[in-house]
Amino acid sequence: MIHVENLTKIFGSIKAVDNISFDISKGQVFSFLGPNGAGKTTTIRMLATLIKPTSGTIIIDDKDSFQNPEHIRSILGILTETPGMYEKISAYENLEFFSSFYDRDKIAIKTSIEKYLKIFDLWDRRNWPVKTYSKGMKQKLALARALLHEPKILFLDEPTAGLDPESAFMVRKFIETLKKDSCTTVFLCTHNLEEAQNLSDIVCIIKHRIITISTLDELQKNSGANTEIIFKNNPEKYKDIFEQFSEKNSIKITDNRVIVNISDPKKTNPEIIKKLSDAGAEIIYFNSLKANLEQIYLDMIKN
Amino acid sequence: MKNALIIFKKEIKEIIKNRSIWLPILAVSIMFSVLFPTIITISLESFIKDPDTNRFILRVFQDTENIERTFLDFIIKQFMVFLLLIPAMLPSLIAPASIVLEKESNTLEPLIATPVKTRELLLGKTLTSMVPSFITSLINFILFTIVVDSIAYIKFGILPLPTWEWLILAFILSPVISFIITMVSMIISSKSTDIRSAQGIGSVIIFPVYAVIGMQIAGLFILNAWFILIACLVLLALCPLLLKLAVRVFDRENILTKWKMK
Repeated sequence: MIHVENLTKIFGSIKAVDNISFDISKGQVFSFLGPNGAGKTTTIRMLATLIKPTSGTIIIDDKDSFQNPEHIRSILGILTETPGMYEKISAYENLEFFSSFYDRDKIAIKTSIEKYLKIFDLWDRRNWPVKTYSKGMKQKLALARALLHEPKILFLDEPTAGLDPESAFMVRKFIETLKKDSCTTVFLCTHNLEEAQNLSDIVCIIKHRIITISTLDELQKNSGANTEIIFKNNPEKYKDIFEQFSEKNSIKITDNRVIVNISDPKKTNPEIIKKLSDAGAEIIYFNSLKANLEQIYLDMIKN
Repeated sequence: MKNALIIFKKEIKEIIKNRSIWLPILAVSIMFSVLFPTIITISLESFIKDPDTNRFILRVFQDTENIERTFLDFIIKQFMVFLLLIPAMLPSLIAPASIVLEKESNTLEPLIATPVKTRELLLGKTLTSMVPSFITSLINFILFTIVVDSIAYIKFGILPLPTWEWLILAFILSPVISFIITMVSMIISSKSTDIRSAQGIGSVIIFPVYAVIGMQIAGLFILNAWFILIACLVLLALCPLLLKLAVRVFDRENILTKWKMK
């Protein structure tokens, strides 16, 4: 659905995006992660044909994006960093205005507006001017706007930022529904790593260049796993044993709890237990934890 | 064109809700199209009866057969130029507000992410500024004519309007001024981020129109058809240049990366 090759964007002397390449298949949720100023928004803007790349190729829906910008914009929906709604007119009028630019008849537009305003719990307030809406309501309205024309590709820049937990849950559930339907490709930019972990098929970490790109499973596999052990007594005297197994020398000891990062836990964990038992350790609890995206992200950005 | 009309319709809806735009125009319209022409035309008789004024008119307009008609024509020319304030003022209020409000509410990015073409966006904004200006200006010219003709007919049995100057002012110079003010407002307001500075820009842009009014009142020139036609030609020559500049300013990448957003 999206093919990006050697994409670069330079603003003056600043290389905002440096030679990135990736592919996203139809129906996948692609999480695009990175610190502020890493080039995420610039990449979205290039993909959405809002700005031209300095070099590189973007093929969307089998079409070169800069030769068919209107077609590309007609099949994508975008939720920008700020909701961006006309404050003086009503929510309904806002949605009616934005959806008029797509090739749809009036009945389809009205049906879509009603559908999404009801999904996001805004139908009862549809005739209120947007200036009376809370930040979260505006964010939900902007999401409804991005979905109105049933886009093939959905760009979501911080979709749950500013939402209360209930609304954030509603939005995440909605993205999950899109994922299940496999009709919409979702390009998700978020700083909420738990959200990315739960929703993504592919994770891409960027800091101008791509640091890593793979499925979450592969990332976790490559990052090893954490083994958590709780001892009855102080575990400091067993540190030598952990160091034998911890390839990355990542051992955290707090009170009687030890967390060791291990590359192949299936093979290593039984050996650790045996060595600790032989050394007379009294183990209360033993657990193997998968590395979460937050740890992986922080490690990669730090390195 | 369809998309430009969608933008135009939405903006008109917003303008109707924005009193700070149409209240000043309403005040200026009533003042220059109804109030002043009524007062001047009614008091024309007593002006002419005054011996000093009468002597002055005869000295300035020598060989005149109908002193009322001559003096009325002179007064109309003096006042008609005030009607140029409407096509200048309205775009100077609408165009910057239309750009700055988009910036304030961060609506430009979602708007240009739709299939709308940049030239349709520019056309929509231009129509929003020009159509109300042209309609309001025409209504004012017609009101001015009705007021002046009604009173002049009752008092002196003459219908001084419309004239060639009236036609050129209403149908050529007014829309040309609207277009120029619209383009300049849009180009300059792309650099400002708040409505106050945009309105400041608006008041500065129409300064040349004030200057023309001032120069005519000071007697530096009197509007006639040839003078207005030459002014139209000069201003029309400026239009393509300003349009070219506005199209460049309205480039998608420019809007997102160079326009100052809030």
